[in-house]
Amino acid sequence: MNATCSEQHRTACGVGGLFTALAIERCLPIMHCGPGCFGNVSATLGSMNGGQSGETYLGSVIPSTNFCEDDVVFGGTERLRKLIGECEKYYDADMFFIVDGCTAEIVGDDIGEAASEWAGSEKPVLYASLPGFKGNNVRGHEQVLSAIAEQYLKPARGTDPKQVNIFGVVPFFDPMWAGSLDALEELLTRMGLKPNIIYGRERGVANVDKIPAAGFNLVIAPWTDLSLAERLKEMFGTPYLHFDNLPIGPTETARFIRSVVDYADLDRGVAEDYIKREEDRFYYYMRRSYPWIFSCKNFPRKFIVNAASAAAVSVVRFAVNDLGLIPSRVYITDGTPKEHEDMISEQLRRVDYDEDFDVIFTEDGGLFEESIKNEDFSIRKICVFGSAWDLVPAKKYKLTFVSVAAPYGDRMVGSRTYFGYEGALRFCEDLYANAADNIVDPGI
Amino acid sequence: MAVDLNWKTIPAREQRLGSITGYDGTLSDMATQGCKGCLRDKRRDFQTASSCAHHHMINQLAGLRDVAVVDHAPTGCIGSQVFFSSGRAKTEPPPGAPPMENVRIMSSGIDESDTIFGAAEKLKNAVRAAYVRHKPREIYIATSCVSAVIGEDAESVAAEMSEELGVPVVPATGGEGLRSKIWASGFDAYCHAASVARLKDEIRAEHKKPAISYVGFAPMGRRHIEPLFKRIGLDLICLTAAASIEDFKRAAESAATWGQCGAQSSYLCSVLEKEFGVRYFQSHLPYGGVGFERFFLDIARFVGREEDGRRVIEEEKAKYLPKIDKIKRRLEGKTALIAMGASFAYEYTRILGELGMKVLHTVAYHYDPKLDNLRPEERVAAATDVFELKLDVPTSVNDAQQQETNLLTKKYKPDIVLSRAHEAGVFAQLQGIPAMDAEIGLIVMGYRGLYRVAVLLEEAFLMNNLVKKFGERYVSPFSALYENTEPFQFYREEAI
Repeated sequence: MNATCSEQHRTACGVGGLFTALAIERCLPIMHCGPGCFGNVSATLGSMNGGQSGETYLGSVIPSTNFCEDDVVFGGTERLRKLIGECEKYYDADMFFIVDGCTAEIVGDDIGEAASEWAGSEKPVLYASLPGFKGNNVRGHEQVLSAIAEQYLKPARGTDPKQVNIFGVVPFFDPMWAGSLDALEELLTRMGLKPNIIYGRERGVANVDKIPAAGFNLVIAPWTDLSLAERLKEMFGTPYLHFDNLPIGPTETARFIRSVVDYADLDRGVAEDYIKREEDRFYYYMRRSYPWIFSCKNFPRKFIVNAASAAAVSVVRFAVNDLGLIPSRVYITDGTPKEHEDMISEQLRRVDYDEDFDVIFTEDGGLFEESIKNEDFSIRKICVFGSAWDLVPAKKYKLTFVSVAAPYGDRMVGSRTYFGYEGALRFCEDLYANAADNIVDPGI
Repeated sequence: MAVDLNWKTIPAREQRLGSITGYDGTLSDMATQGCKGCLRDKRRDFQTASSCAHHHMINQLAGLRDVAVVDHAPTGCIGSQVFFSSGRAKTEPPPGAPPMENVRIMSSGIDESDTIFGAAEKLKNAVRAAYVRHKPREIYIATSCVSAVIGEDAESVAAEMSEELGVPVVPATGGEGLRSKIWASGFDAYCHAASVARLKDEIRAEHKKPAISYVGFAPMGRRHIEPLFKRIGLDLICLTAAASIEDFKRAAESAATWGQCGAQSSYLCSVLEKEFGVRYFQSHLPYGGVGFERFFLDIARFVGREEDGRRVIEEEKAKYLPKIDKIKRRLEGKTALIAMGASFAYEYTRILGELGMKVLHTVAYHYDPKLDNLRPEERVAAATDVFELKLDVPTSVNDAQQQETNLLTKKYKPDIVLSRAHEAGVFAQLQGIPAMDAEIGLIVMGYRGLYRVAVLLEEAFLMNNLVKKFGERYVSPFSALYENTEPFQFYREEAI
């Protein structure tokens, strides 16, 4: 029986790419989609992903043609044209981003043509085709960024060698994107750079405009946005630095800082002073809690990751290199393109640990729950680093659980981040609190 | 058009019931036109995203016990089900049932090439996989926008898989997102599919059991309501999330049924009535004191226990009215704007009146001029109130078009906005207007429910420091031009 399961998805529909547009302040997505397509992406990327929602534009004010049966027969572009006109008049926005979904694509509505009628208007009107049958929200995210590059960016008059554009983090999808980008911005500024981020508060279209002027691009992720960086290199000659994860904890954060400092030829002394001070601080707090951690004999040592590649690489590096936890197996659930799988496997195994462990690429998020049904936890438990879907089996088997990826769960994420030294302490607080809550088990 | 378990695809609410998503006027006018069968829908040129029938069909089906749902769609169409799964997993299981777990929803994962070459084999494999992994007692195949547009035959696959796997595999169609602007059409598609799976082959019982069936989202509040029905000799069966196949069979033998609202429940209640002679009570919903007294007496009379029914009402009144009256003093004269689903919008209009408040305008997310019941004398609850209680209020209908509701809020300047889901209340609070997201179902039934509503309202008025501070910092997403438009200027009337 050729039966492949696909459940408990940790990604959203391709239309979810609109959240990348939504992350750019005052950029308004215009949907040429069914009435519920926003709702169908907003849990995994919004409410159930750390209680997030649009800030400039609440989900409920995002305009949509609400594609229906009549449009299948007659086409919906006329209604879309009309809606774009209404949006220009009735919203306070700096940029409009038309996206379409499955049905409009199947019937052949041309959103590019609709957008072209607004070429040269004061507020840019961009478009990206995001049908779910072509891929998930990570693809959607890449389509939106590609549209910005191809349809909007113009060569800069001059470049600023200190300006670095930050890519790789998928906003909203990474539940801690806002806090992480703030912390990253602060760190890079301290190192002497001028970070340019397009997502989040007080950045917006002005920062999008600055993209071509960067001295270099930083892609801080296992694979997302690498294609964008390549394209920007072709278009504007901007070189890029690829650092394969958003670092958590002393080992990776120091490696990251040194990579950037070497690459951009920054002051090594400033960087080393910073690393030393922050490492000392991190270990001060760890030593303060370690007698308690050590005394909790049943804190698990092995762990499983069931998450998007970005979260997985960050967490595996920190958990292994700094916390001394043992990787049991890693499920990568974000639909990583086949051509990147070997690279991700290699990234995951590039840790201070000699034994091998399984890396499984699957969009079947339920595989983990299925796999532990017959596992023997009577002697020793494990940690699970996953998402809201994993919380249920983790509770059932009383496993230590930390949510690290979408859908993060129905709790407020605020400005939380696991990035860097401070973020690593947040991770430890979450990890050991949960471990302690699940420590007493009648099976032991 | 009532219910028909032989329908391969259940018609959407717009076609089946003449339901609408655009209206502005008064409740009495809308109800009167609705009852005469001449209510016309209005469309709008400028609209925002609303909600998906397919999404709601699936969350209801997957909530049932011992089922798996296979969504014949691109994987993204089930992306938001984690919301329901997570909520469901936190609820208390029904007595004797195992702890709640994640919902079992698979995707056939229609991709680009499938839109050209078809995906029947993929669907079969997904059904097999669902069976192997979860061993459900029933499998539903949900059809979607994409599977409908490319012409997939879910019915044949379902028949073939039923044969192969030896468990019922039932197509759930009619809830495709593009089929209806009314997301409640997805509830109907759920009711139809679950009825076909669980009730179609049941024999009509000659003698009814002393029980009443409740059709709704969740059984929350059951423990408070069950004893009231016991007093008039009825067991309570909940056809809600976690309902088992046996619960449905017991419901077919029950004496009476009612639903949480017309939107979610009317089709399943009507199936019970038409196919099994279970009396469907829908004209009086049991919310607030007035609603509860009418409803409970209807039921008590029907089972020949009127005196017992009256005693229950008196006892409930004695228990809660003094407490309610105390709070009422603080609510009296306050004004409200309501924005909610079709039934609850007008239930709360009446309830706030009972609490001494004045409703300035009520927005319903759609309106059904009639429901699926057989007996024409049973009107929809809102229309019943218009004729029985002379209930009236300026009203409009929009499918969660919060930009319209927002203009109404500005126009009416209510003391509070009472909403349920879909962000009407959030929108108000960010502008500094107090708001409350209201509860529905058993939890707000009867005098205890009325007391609960009063307590929540009292709190909503008592403290609004955060709301005030939001208001001071509010920036409208709209242009000044829009903020100064009239609420209904984008409407145009459609021929029926």
